[in-house]
Amino acid sequence: MEQDIEIEVRNRDGSTVVAARGEVDVATAPALRDGLDEALDHDIGTVVVDLTGVTFIDSTGLGVLIGARRRCVEAGRDLRVVVAEPRILKVFEITGLTELFTIHPSLEPALGA
Amino acid sequence: MSPEPTGSTGSGPFASAAQVELTLSVADDLLVLARLTVSAVATRAGFDIEEIEDLRLAVDELCLQVLLGRRTGRLVLAMAAEPGCIDVWSRYEGTEEARPDGLDDEGDLSERILDALVDEHGPFVHDGRPGAFLTKRRALAGG
Repeated sequence: MEQDIEIEVRNRDGSTVVAARGEVDVATAPALRDGLDEALDHDIGTVVVDLTGVTFIDSTGLGVLIGARRRCVEAGRDLRVVVAEPRILKVFEITGLTELFTIHPSLEPALGA
Repeated sequence: MSPEPTGSTGSGPFASAAQVELTLSVADDLLVLARLTVSAVATRAGFDIEEIEDLRLAVDELCLQVLLGRRTGRLVLAMAAEPGCIDVWSRYEGTEEARPDGLDDEGDLSERILDALVDEHGPFVHDGRPGAFLTKRRALAGG
């Protein structure tokens, strides 16, 4: 059984946006990691992870984001996360990751912050 | 219903209390089926949408805690529900050693998620095989 996840990496307003759509779990987290690796390879400005289209994320997906943040810090780059879905925001809250990540409710403020 | 205690032997929940048992191939990344199954069982037990979403994530984490990076073998889930309460047990069947290296972040996050979302959770051993369980009860109205 193949799970669907869509990852899009694009440049916008001087930032590199990694947009995910679908469920992020142990099966699909590698695709998100690949997208983030591509974004970090671009070496263009802030990395914005847009989770607006994500309907599920577990600790595997969160671990990928933590790893990407670590690489951004090492490279002197900023990483921001866009979370619109309350269910997804709840996962960040109960794990304490709202303290680690800069989270925005939509893409525009994340790009303009 | 009560969790199978650590160190237990015998058939345990997998033969007695369980109403649903699901066996998944680890290699095929089938945790989506575990999430679907617990959604159905929880619906029948009267949980609301928010609680079912919590259970989907909690069961996913329960499975990850048992797999610990293993990529071969089978994952067996057993579920027992009654109105307002659901128990889920998960165990690994296979020969691959756990590969927890590199899972430090995920392991810690998984514990935090389960702490927040369920009433009880923890490890158990079933016929010498490592497993984990969780129990979730419906919140009382107004509580």
